[in-house]
Amino acid sequence: MTPNTYGLIKSATNVISGISMIAIIVLGAAYMSFSNAFVFQDVKIEIVNNPVEQSRDIEFMMIGSKKFECNSTEVYGTAYHADGHMHRLDKFTKQYTRNTRPGEPVPNQWHMKVPDDMVEGGVYRVSMTGNFVCNYLIFQTEKSQTYDNILLEVEPR
Amino acid sequence: MDVRRNQKIAQQVERWDLYARLTPTIFLVGSLFLILFKIINFETAFYVGLVGFAFTAVIWWWWAIFTIKYLVTVLNRTSKNLQDTAIEISQISTEVKQLKDDT
Repeated sequence: MTPNTYGLIKSATNVISGISMIAIIVLGAAYMSFSNAFVFQDVKIEIVNNPVEQSRDIEFMMIGSKKFECNSTEVYGTAYHADGHMHRLDKFTKQYTRNTRPGEPVPNQWHMKVPDDMVEGGVYRVSMTGNFVCNYLIFQTEKSQTYDNILLEVEPR
Repeated sequence: MDVRRNQKIAQQVERWDLYARLTPTIFLVGSLFLILFKIINFETAFYVGLVGFAFTAVIWWWWAIFTIKYLVTVLNRTSKNLQDTAIEISQISTEVKQLKDDT
């Protein structure tokens, strides 16, 4: 190998190594930012038909913006009563809009059936949890976000 | 002994140079290949890269400290020896001058 060829190979590997290093740092920083971000920002969830009458479902309203493309895989609520017992809310009578567009606040709403064992009614605090699959550039990850302390009042059934 | 150690340091610098030249590209291409074929996911690649980066940084840091310490010691010794040599040369030239004057 001539000194010229050796010098050229050395310079080329230097440039390739530098570009690889920059790519690793940029991808690493982008991945950290992506994996640490919440699914929804400026989010607000409310039950709009408190107290829920006997024949009615629980009507949820939500507004929030997403930073990334995220699609929900599972959404459920847990209603906690002051005396300690809880109920799982996972029967949708009206579906929410899936895969809302990222970047701007989008209103969403859904209705859920009052659980059969919630016969005595009362005041509950609901936590809504969503599991998502999010995509950003070449990354994909699963995320979960919970919104706590939504007031629910249910009339006795 | 110094010569052997200096050669050792030169070899270590060459190895660091080769490591810096090859590792980022090998890691990037290898990770992308493994992710593409779903052998690992991004999270695994990220943490492997982070651990590798941290490990390299710590090892390099201590190597650099010990090497600099050694080089400073060698530099000081060389300076002292040069100074001693300069004094001796000055003394010799004075003595030679005296001898010339006497004769």
